Amino acid sequence: MLRFPAVGRALAGLAPSHSARVQSRAASNMVEVFVDGKPVEVEPGTTVLQACEKVGMQIPRFCYHERLSVAGNCRMCLVEIEKVPKPVAACAMPVMKGWNILTNSEKTRKAREGVMEFLLANHPLDCPICDQGGECDLQDQSMQFGSDRSRFSESKRAVEDKNIGPLIKTIMTRCIQCTRCVRFASEIAGVEDLGTTGRGNNLQIGTYVEKMFMSELSGNVIDICPVGALTSKPYAFTARPWETRKTESIDVLDAVGSNIVVSTRGGEVMRVMPRLNEDVNEEWISDKTRFAYDGLKRQRLTQPMVKDASGQLTATSWEDALTRVAGALQGAQGSEVAAIVGGMVDAESLVALKDLLNRLNSDSLCTEELFPMDGAGTDLRSNYLLNTRIAGIEDCDVLLLVGTNPRYEAPLFNARIRKSWLHNELHVGLVGRQVDLSYTYDHLGEETSVLQELASGTHPFWEVLSTAKRPVVVVGSSALQRPDGGAILAAVSALAQKARSSSGVEEGWKVLNVLHRVASQVAALDLGYKAGVEAIRSNPPKVLYLLGADAGCITRADLPKDSLIIYQGHHGDVGAPMADIVLPGAAYTEKNATYVNTEGRSQQTRVAVTAPGAAREDWQVIRAVSELAGVMLPYDTVDEVRSRLAQVSPNLTRYDDVEGANYFKQANELAAAVNQTLLATPLIPPQLTAKDFYMTDSISRSSQTMAKCVKAITEGAAAVDEPSIC
Amino acid sequence: MASSAATRTAAGAAKVVKPIFSRDLDEAKRRVRELYRAWYREVPNTLALFQLDIGHRQAKDKVREMFDKNKHITDPRVIDMLVIKGKMELEETIKVWKQKTHIMRYFHETENQRPADFLSRFYQGHDP
Amino acid sequence: MFLSSAIRSAVSQTARQVRGLHRSAARAGAGGIFVHRDTPDNNPDTPFEFTEENNKRIEAIISMYPVGHKQAATIPVLDLAQRQHGWLPISAMNKVAEVLGVAPMRVYEVATFYTMFLRQPVGKYFIQICTTTPCMLCNSDSILQALKSKLGIKVGETTADKMFTLIEVECLGACVNAPMVQINDNYYEDLTAEDMDHIIDELKAGRVPPPGPRNGRFSCEPAGGLTSLIEPPPGPGVGVRADL
Repeated sequence: MLRFPAVGRALAGLAPSHSARVQSRAASNMVEVFVDGKPVEVEPGTTVLQACEKVGMQIPRFCYHERLSVAGNCRMCLVEIEKVPKPVAACAMPVMKGWNILTNSEKTRKAREGVMEFLLANHPLDCPICDQGGECDLQDQSMQFGSDRSRFSESKRAVEDKNIGPLIKTIMTRCIQCTRCVRFASEIAGVEDLGTTGRGNNLQIGTYVEKMFMSELSGNVIDICPVGALTSKPYAFTARPWETRKTESIDVLDAVGSNIVVSTRGGEVMRVMPRLNEDVNEEWISDKTRFAYDGLKRQRLTQPMVKDASGQLTATSWEDALTRVAGALQGAQGSEVAAIVGGMVDAESLVALKDLLNRLNSDSLCTEELFPMDGAGTDLRSNYLLNTRIAGIEDCDVLLLVGTNPRYEAPLFNARIRKSWLHNELHVGLVGRQVDLSYTYDHLGEETSVLQELASGTHPFWEVLSTAKRPVVVVGSSALQRPDGGAILAAVSALAQKARSSSGVEEGWKVLNVLHRVASQVAALDLGYKAGVEAIRSNPPKVLYLLGADAGCITRADLPKDSLIIYQGHHGDVGAPMADIVLPGAAYTEKNATYVNTEGRSQQTRVAVTAPGAAREDWQVIRAVSELAGVMLPYDTVDEVRSRLAQVSPNLTRYDDVEGANYFKQANELAAAVNQTLLATPLIPPQLTAKDFYMTDSISRSSQTMAKCVKAITEGAAAVDEPSIC
Repeated sequence: MASSAATRTAAGAAKVVKPIFSRDLDEAKRRVRELYRAWYREVPNTLALFQLDIGHRQAKDKVREMFDKNKHITDPRVIDMLVIKGKMELEETIKVWKQKTHIMRYFHETENQRPADFLSRFYQGHDP
Repeated sequence: MFLSSAIRSAVSQTARQVRGLHRSAARAGAGGIFVHRDTPDNNPDTPFEFTEENNKRIEAIISMYPVGHKQAATIPVLDLAQRQHGWLPISAMNKVAEVLGVAPMRVYEVATFYTMFLRQPVGKYFIQICTTTPCMLCNSDSILQALKSKLGIKVGETTADKMFTLIEVECLGACVNAPMVQINDNYYEDLTAEDMDHIIDELKAGRVPPPGPRNGRFSCEPAGGLTSLIEPPPGPGVGVRADL
């Protein structure tokens, strides 16, 4: 219902204009207004609040949020305008020529104080036991704009709390009915579960029926809630914002590379919050990113371990473990040594491991994630990047998703698609299993033959795709991991090329996109790792080095009996139990490391806490091994490793920058040479429902919170027992 | 001639440099001796005052060691500066502005030398 | 402060004998709380299906709104559901959401906002008695008393035979004909306790007594007869200057 048909869109004048990247118009069109006498030129249709923001004057607000539609129901942004009889709500009032907005007049201040008094009339004064304390808009603004005493002696309203799942704690008595969460749910998350029920003094926010707030982005309502009504359940009563240290970092639980802030206290991660990055995650993060941090404290490898005579892994010292590893590596030269890297490995350790094995005359370096090596394979970067970029989705008009479920594979990417669908009339088509993507799309079927029909122009959706001005085709990495992955990539590449030529779009526009699911993949492919473990399975090595490989794509059964497995990583998940030697590594919150997201954007994590026990940063472990093995790697510090990274692939150290890929045409020509046929098996992405979303990697599999989410989805929110505090 | 020229230039240089206290090395040495004597005399007091569990001999040896540490210095200005510092230390000791640990620091090197090579650093801690 | 609260409690003590002062119609009448709790007769599995006739009506209702704005039909379709079922179980709201293609929550929001949508089961005859000031001055208390004793229920309750539900409401806009009650869609006005008894008897007997004033008035004209406009209306040209 939020998305009106073309007729109605003109009426929906209040839809936020920032989404539709409006080009600044000619100066003659601008409206001049005054903020406290200071002149400012704004576009017609700008609200009073935005005009004030433009001169740096912050208007207090609760319900207004720049990424949500305007509600105008908190009244906190009332300002006086010269010659206007009543104070106006700045967030909803478009400016008119010559207005003088008085942001600090007697009337404005009185209005704010009055609104604040009304808001506080029903708000409990429980700040000392409220988790929002210290980062509460109501607290801050009542200090700044409110009265210093209360005249309210009646009894306050009370509202019963709701159980909307194991992630969000609700204390609804604290709610001031700003409806930010309701608007977030219906506009950004696309899950219309939250709403306002009742009226007047009895109005309350909730789901009306007993129901979980089922969204992969649900945690964001905690951030947008200006009061303590919606707080984090796992974080409840554990820390205060002023006693935590904040470290700006990057999330690695999916391939989007959301920008995060890690709050730590006393060497412990207390919570994870989003950080603004307009090009990647805006200001949202997925629930897995936000709540899987408790997995960092469980199932950790803290000691080097070796398998003793009885086949039991026993703790040992670094000297002992490293000497054994070095001995094994020295004893097996050339192709007898192989390495597999997992999904959360940073670029530094990737390059160190590659250098180490190359010095041992081995080139069997694989990633767990498959990628078709036929045709151009991974030789041309354009083949494996999300070339359009995440923000680029806002500029496209027709999007074809192939064999992917972006909602659970990359929730923030899906949020971007939904944003574009909502505001820019994006037309989406999907080849693959029909799932709820939180927006409407044309389901073209789940058979691979659809791709051929599209390419030959016989499919009805081709009409849409061929008339697109800026088409985009996104293929999921899971679709490329089928036996016929090469053929699918070739078909999609041909389709993308065809859509490009029919659209006549300019040369810089990228059509073909690959959506990855793990954070390390792009960096690994950039560094020249082979995708997939097929080579290792066909040619089993004597010594296998697993670097964070926890997907279980290779087992003991695939290797000869006398082979030695070394596992280096941070969790005792799938890889560690089958290893002979276990080397504890650092998780993404514990190291300065480089990750490259699915767009090819390199970003770095920072040390928020030290690694537990004897665990060390991964590249250092490899560096130490190399020294003992007699093939010393020439770098001692992280800066030296990065200069090595830059030698191999300069884009890896150009942080926050996307190195675009090209050679689409050549890649397509090479792909055309692939002689593989499409299999008839339908394209079904591995993550279909919310249940499949929460536990996908070693960190989230160790997280109790994530386990609770799965339980709540399968058995209902009431099945999860919470400690009965407050 | 040559030597006198050298002394002249040296004198010219000395003229440019302003002395702190001592005009020549002998005067500087005198000041060092005075300081040494003051320290030497203060040793028993210090031991009593700070209740140090150290013998007189050991303490006096330490005083001598501290002076000997700088015996290669010949520049009177540097010597003066060191004497000033020594006097400050002495004053702090006499007036008990120091605490026991500060005195004991003369006797004990608390900081472990950090290893320089990568492997030792790796074995030692998280942040080589 | 103490004084004021003392006065307030005294006021509410005296007033509570007949009607609660601080309870609005929304609170007392239309289902009380604003969250849904499953009960045996009100849960998502409560059978509810629009009749064939009503489906046609829904089509007609939706056709009144522009394409893509089906949501605008929420109130009339909810009303239709309530008229069909007598009240609105959660399954009916879900059905309305399904018919209109909107999220169920959007329907719940509307249904909880309006007090005339009954989210709790009510009897066949839903009696809303006005006890706001004008009616109260015209002795609505006696009407309420009569209803209570006649039906043997208190305000907010339903009779055991599921025939009558009695609630107290705020002004229904018929002050000139006070005291009055609304039974389903009909206004019964200018009542006395005996009239009330009679109406209930009629309803019990399965007849619907004619709505309107009970004291012989036709409508809302003055009780003591007309005081103006009593002569026949003059023809055109009256009071106009002769020279025009």
